[in-house]
Amino acid sequence: MPIRLIFRNLLRHKLRTALTVGSLAIAVFLLCVLRALVVSLDAGVRNSTSDRLIVQSAVSLFVNLPASYLGKLQAVEGVDSVARLQWFGGYYQDPSSFFAQFGVDPEEFLDMYPEFKIVDGSRERFLTERTACIVGRQTADRYGFKVGDTVPIIGTIFQRLDGTPWEFQVAAIYELDSIVWDETTIFFPFEYLEESLEGGTASGPPGSGVIYMHLAEGVNPVNIAAEVDGLFENGPQRVQTTTEAEFNAQFVSMVGNIPFFVTTIGGGVLAAILLAVINTMLLSGREQRHDMGVLKALGFSDWAVFGVMLGQGVVLCVLGGGVGIGLAQLSSPEIAKLLGTMFPGFEMTSEILTSACTLSLGIGLLSGALPAAATRKLMAVDAFRRGA
Amino acid sequence: MQLVPFSYNLRSLLVRRSTTLLTVVSIGATVAVISGVQALQQGFVTIFENGGRTDVAVFLRPGATTENQSGFTRSSADVLLKSIPEIALTDDGRPLASAENYMAVRLFKVGGGETNVPVRGVQPMTMTIRANDLQILEGRRFEPGTDEIMVGEKLTRRIRGCQLGEVIRLNTVPFTVVGIFTDEGTFSSEIWGDLERMGDALQRSVYNRVIGVLRPDVDVPALIEAQENHPQVPASVMTEADYLMSQTGMISATLLGLGAFLAVIMGIAAVFTTTTTMQAALAARTHEIGILACLGFRPVSILLSFLFESLVLGVLGGLVGILLTLPLNGIETGTTNMVTFTEVAFAFRITPQVLGTAILFSILLGLLGGAIPAFRAARMSAVEALRRG
Repeated sequence: MPIRLIFRNLLRHKLRTALTVGSLAIAVFLLCVLRALVVSLDAGVRNSTSDRLIVQSAVSLFVNLPASYLGKLQAVEGVDSVARLQWFGGYYQDPSSFFAQFGVDPEEFLDMYPEFKIVDGSRERFLTERTACIVGRQTADRYGFKVGDTVPIIGTIFQRLDGTPWEFQVAAIYELDSIVWDETTIFFPFEYLEESLEGGTASGPPGSGVIYMHLAEGVNPVNIAAEVDGLFENGPQRVQTTTEAEFNAQFVSMVGNIPFFVTTIGGGVLAAILLAVINTMLLSGREQRHDMGVLKALGFSDWAVFGVMLGQGVVLCVLGGGVGIGLAQLSSPEIAKLLGTMFPGFEMTSEILTSACTLSLGIGLLSGALPAAATRKLMAVDAFRRGA
Repeated sequence: MQLVPFSYNLRSLLVRRSTTLLTVVSIGATVAVISGVQALQQGFVTIFENGGRTDVAVFLRPGATTENQSGFTRSSADVLLKSIPEIALTDDGRPLASAENYMAVRLFKVGGGETNVPVRGVQPMTMTIRANDLQILEGRRFEPGTDEIMVGEKLTRRIRGCQLGEVIRLNTVPFTVVGIFTDEGTFSSEIWGDLERMGDALQRSVYNRVIGVLRPDVDVPALIEAQENHPQVPASVMTEADYLMSQTGMISATLLGLGAFLAVIMGIAAVFTTTTTMQAALAARTHEIGILACLGFRPVSILLSFLFESLVLGVLGGLVGILLTLPLNGIETGTTNMVTFTEVAFAFRITPQVLGTAILFSILLGLLGGAIPAFRAARMSAVEALRRG
């Protein structure tokens, strides 16, 4: 098979080849990004472990658990440690600059989450100082928070009665080993919030939003969850105990059916590009009719001619796909930064890139095969007679 | 200046049917994706736009931007309910104002999974204020002071336990569905019941907001200012229309941003496709261009002729795209209002704006895609074109 002809023919229409490779690159890039979005959605679910259970109100996301629940949960056999978490819901400077803040029991929480790595500053300070906080790497980078800085947060659910913002001192910056949380959240001691409410210097709902339980080794989480739910079946506040994976999944599904939405968009992109490449290859096929007739007349086999056409489609798509995959790979850290809080687990996995390769190759084979099949059956005589 | 007859272009497109078709459908797919995203954004915004009245004021705790962040003690709410002169009165002289509770309650979806449904406890006066906004579709209104509820019509298809006669348990108290209602805005994604009964069941002693109908001649900015600095009960005030619009920001901006991103990226690919097609048309018709030039057509006419042909490709693509998107119109979906963390149901809406954008976008694709081949065609000399063809 005259392999050189594949490249010669592609170079004959440089503009067309460049445009087709370009649009393929764009489409493959887009498909990779869309796929990565979907995959990133369940990062928190995939990286969950089964030794953490979360107790929340069965009534509402916004109903807090009474303070008395902490002791009762701690007393459940098989529960190693418990940590309270309270969604703070404030903002820094402007409501649109959003990142989450939580009040937590510092020591219990960090012990339960070995995924949190303190990379800068002092863990000790966070554990001991009332107004200390730890800041995720992304938020620290975005707003330039450094260890020792004071971060003013304006409360919306919890407001200080003197009207001033809450102030937290950055004790440390953390990074995550695996995306089980995100690197944008600020954590501060729950007790500071509790004391402010009880001491009358701030207003807001009492209690804690959720309680995390760390289980002892070898305990069946299903049994514990059922036991805890049963404890409070008759009130005062019914609870729902879920594994970490279920808990994280609930927030993913809240946004709506994103996987379906994104897949539909991806389908549109795929249809557009597939038709475009087929169009290019059919145009090429028509224009090379005469040449292929010459090849056949020279004695090249039907399959050799088939190969020349098919090869053009494949080379186009491998080039386009390659550029697209390269783009996706290179730009993914930037995109991840851009998406920040909304898709904390955004990452171009090798799995996505592999399927993008397969897809490009598939488009190439399909778009090449259509003109190739027609060319294969072509009689040299007809090619000359009707050739342009 | 003599223009090349348009029928020449139309016939050329017909002669190269398969290429024309592939290009048109490819552009169509691009347009469809962008229109679909925009239709989603339009549907979402419409719900919030339709529901908001400009003659209803919403009172929230200072600093709160949504109902679920806001809270008034009973005594504060009482002051607001009774002593604001800007609020209109009923025929028998009572202020048209009402206190409301609002909470996102965890309920099960019909297809499985959980979601946060907004539950609103209202005083009887709310029903007077909303007399023209709400329509009862089935059953009746809840009886004040009882454990009865009425549910928004959109919930009946999405949330379990929302059929007439069914029971929904709020914490430990069972409430019976006695009516199904609808409105044009977000209320049809809510559950409504008696303020005090709901407060008891959900163990909430504070009210979330106060609403009131404004007198026709009220100076709203002055009211906002006065209430913010009110000595006894300071509150943030806004019209209901403004209140609802302020909640669409994040999701609407995300969808618009996504639409714009896709439009640019996929638009570039579509322009490439159109250029490829037109370039091939140019190559196949070099001879004809020579003839046109010999006949005395000016280069500008040839340029316009090719641009027109490419424009037709683009617009046909736009029409295919619109046809592909039309079936989406009215399909219901839901998302979480990221401001209140409650689910709101809405439908894709193919508004004139969506159609207009689709057509403009496809015209742009056609013109940009045809630009290079059209210039090349216009610059050919008659002799050379005839020789090469």
